[in-house]
Amino acid sequence: MASAGQIEKPGPTLMGSAAIGWLPTIAIILAAVIIQITIRPMLGDFYAKVLLDIGVNIVLAVSLTMVNGFTGQFSMGHAAFMAVGGYTAATVMYYGSFRLFGEASMAGGVLSSMMSDREGPVPYFTRGDLLFLASTLFGGLVAAGCGYLVGLPSLRLRGDYLAIVTLGFGEIVRVLIQALTTDALYDADEIAATPVYQFPKYIGGALGFSGLPFYNSLFWSLGLAGLTILTAYRIKSSTFGRAFLSIREDEIAAEAMGVNTTRYKVRAFVIAAFFAGMAGALFAHTSGVQLNAGELGFLKSFDIIIMVVLGGLGSISGAAFAAIILTILPELLRQPAFLVHGWIVAVPLIAGGIALRMLAARRRADTSIPKLLIGFGVAVALLAIAAAIARSRDIDLGRYRMIFYALALIVIMIARPQGLLSVREIWERGLWRGLGNWVRSLRRETGEARP
Amino acid sequence: MTGTEPILKVEGISKAFGGLKAVQDFALTLNPGDVQGLIGPNGAGKTTCFNLLTGVYRPDAGRVQLNGAEVTGLRPYLIAGAGMARTFQNIRLFPDLSVLDNVMLGSHLRTRQNMTQAILRTRFHRADERAIERRARRLLELFELDTRAEEEARSLPYGDQRKLEIARALATDPKVLLLDEPAAGMNPQEKGELRGLIDRIRREFSVTVLLIEHDMNVVMKICETITVLDYGVTIAVGPPGRVQSDPKVIEAYLGVPGEAH
Ligand SMILES: Nc1ncnc2c1ncn2[C@@H]1O[C@H](COP(=O)(O)OP(=O)(O)OP(=O)(O)O)[C@@H](O)[C@H]1O
Ligand SMILES: [Mg+2]
Repeated sequence: MASAGQIEKPGPTLMGSAAIGWLPTIAIILAAVIIQITIRPMLGDFYAKVLLDIGVNIVLAVSLTMVNGFTGQFSMGHAAFMAVGGYTAATVMYYGSFRLFGEASMAGGVLSSMMSDREGPVPYFTRGDLLFLASTLFGGLVAAGCGYLVGLPSLRLRGDYLAIVTLGFGEIVRVLIQALTTDALYDADEIAATPVYQFPKYIGGALGFSGLPFYNSLFWSLGLAGLTILTAYRIKSSTFGRAFLSIREDEIAAEAMGVNTTRYKVRAFVIAAFFAGMAGALFAHTSGVQLNAGELGFLKSFDIIIMVVLGGLGSISGAAFAAIILTILPELLRQPAFLVHGWIVAVPLIAGGIALRMLAARRRADTSIPKLLIGFGVAVALLAIAAAIARSRDIDLGRYRMIFYALALIVIMIARPQGLLSVREIWERGLWRGLGNWVRSLRRETGEARP
Repeated sequence: MTGTEPILKVEGISKAFGGLKAVQDFALTLNPGDVQGLIGPNGAGKTTCFNLLTGVYRPDAGRVQLNGAEVTGLRPYLIAGAGMARTFQNIRLFPDLSVLDNVMLGSHLRTRQNMTQAILRTRFHRADERAIERRARRLLELFELDTRAEEEARSLPYGDQRKLEIARALATDPKVLLLDEPAAGMNPQEKGELRGLIDRIRREFSVTVLLIEHDMNVVMKICETITVLDYGVTIAVGPPGRVQSDPKVIEAYLGVPGEAH
């Protein structure tokens, strides 16, 4: 490369220059601590629970987008990794607590508590928290091992066939847990007398694993969500991210450019399963949740897929954003009195979208952005109408949430088949430039020749 | 080029698809710095040859040696790693990725960082990413694509997409570059530029080039040696002038026994 006189332009890559080293990691953990200590007590239990669910769902959606979005494989069994991680961590946590602390009730400090009314001096971090951290990581690792096994068929299968294999894997996990295990042991003496290797047999069976301590808190949930986003972003914006994405874009070209496609396809499964497993571990130890394999089947996987598709396959911020919306939506649906005011948002969106669309059509510019606005407005309007009807008839809209998901998906797929953000991130220069170009193309006079 | 070791040595490779003998006993020797051409009528087996050389298909028989190493039947990514890069007849870019990212991916196989370093953003990782980007931007400047670096690859005009594919292939730091109809779909002016560009990359990157091309003007002007395929069989090898007047070649192209002219 000896070309003379060439300028070396420094500058960030498409994804922007990532912040350095450990700083963001520390910042995320600190932020999680601060949220737990200062904001948590101000929130009611209801809002705290919604925020907690948002964190877990972000982890699930962002990890799934590494498989379905980055490498373009279609996994339909993500909830199974969650189940594997959840049950593994729960087994360690439940029986470990008995063995170490003599009982399985919460032995965590402030950071691990969703209870705002604990009395007396409570430590911030305890042995119980350490055990929780360890079992969460262990759950993630075991799930990652399963990810490796499921990733292997992906080398020979693609498209629909792989989807079916992952679907089958999910159902197998569910059935095995439900059929081969029995009620958890609850007697301390009995537990003390049972050899460790037999514990996995007593994890609840078809009725679910009850009696688990509630360690999950905003600290864990939002902290893990932050770290998952950071990790996913750092992978995506590195040479390994380009390798992942190249597979989804064109596998033959990727291979010809030296990408070991088989290795990266399996790696995507392993990494995604690791995070999903940890999400499962947090989920299992959440107040108000009963760990039950029956609820971690295909429907749960489908929930996560919707988040990923809605946000845009491969977009980390898109997946996180969709996870937030789709966690809040079912709660909103239970508040028709609030939803009926949706027209305040819907009318300007639709009117503005139509105006922009007409302008764009006249100037021959791309119409996908106006369509997106209209679609969003129509969705909100439909919600408002549904809420009005529900209120007058006393119907619980929350029970019909799948219908709204389906409608939202249809609208999105018509207006913007690549999802909200396609493969890009909201903070990316490319996206802003795209918007800028679009605005500029609107200003261009009709009929002017393009350069 | 007497006395030098060949950079690519192909000995009698063959490939049949069912009953169709797409390539029979194909042989080729590329010496460092060569620009050779591979021509033949439609369906002659040219692209199949490229696919055999780069590992997309495994040859039924024969051997391929790249830079002294046996690469016959290896997976494409290993052959790319050994120093053979290619472009595709029907352009295969990464359409949703930016122009810059397309080229940066080409450097992936030369990277020595691992994923943990990327996740931890170590100093080595950052230096390596900067080097990859610098290299990619330099290539884009060479191909006059630098002003469109942040755009999606799919938004480029056809001729630029072909150029981008070559830039991406060069980013893998190849010893041998295979170009499958690089001038297809280009206008005469672009074709002229392409000729200059091929000449330039051969000198600046010291790569050896093998190209498939239908446009005789392009082939005759830049190739020193031409191999002609017809129905998978090599019917002529030699310098452009001689090949052009070879009666077998004329017959293959015109479908009738021809005469030297
Ligand atoms: N994967 C395949 N399976 C079956 N037949 C194939 C396959 N690939 C190529 N062929 C056949 O092999 C023959 C040679 O094809 P090839 O693409 O190599 O021709 P070509 O010389 O590149 O032609 P063109 O100038 O049209 O690109 C053709 O008859 C083609 O139909
Ligand atoms: Mg061809």
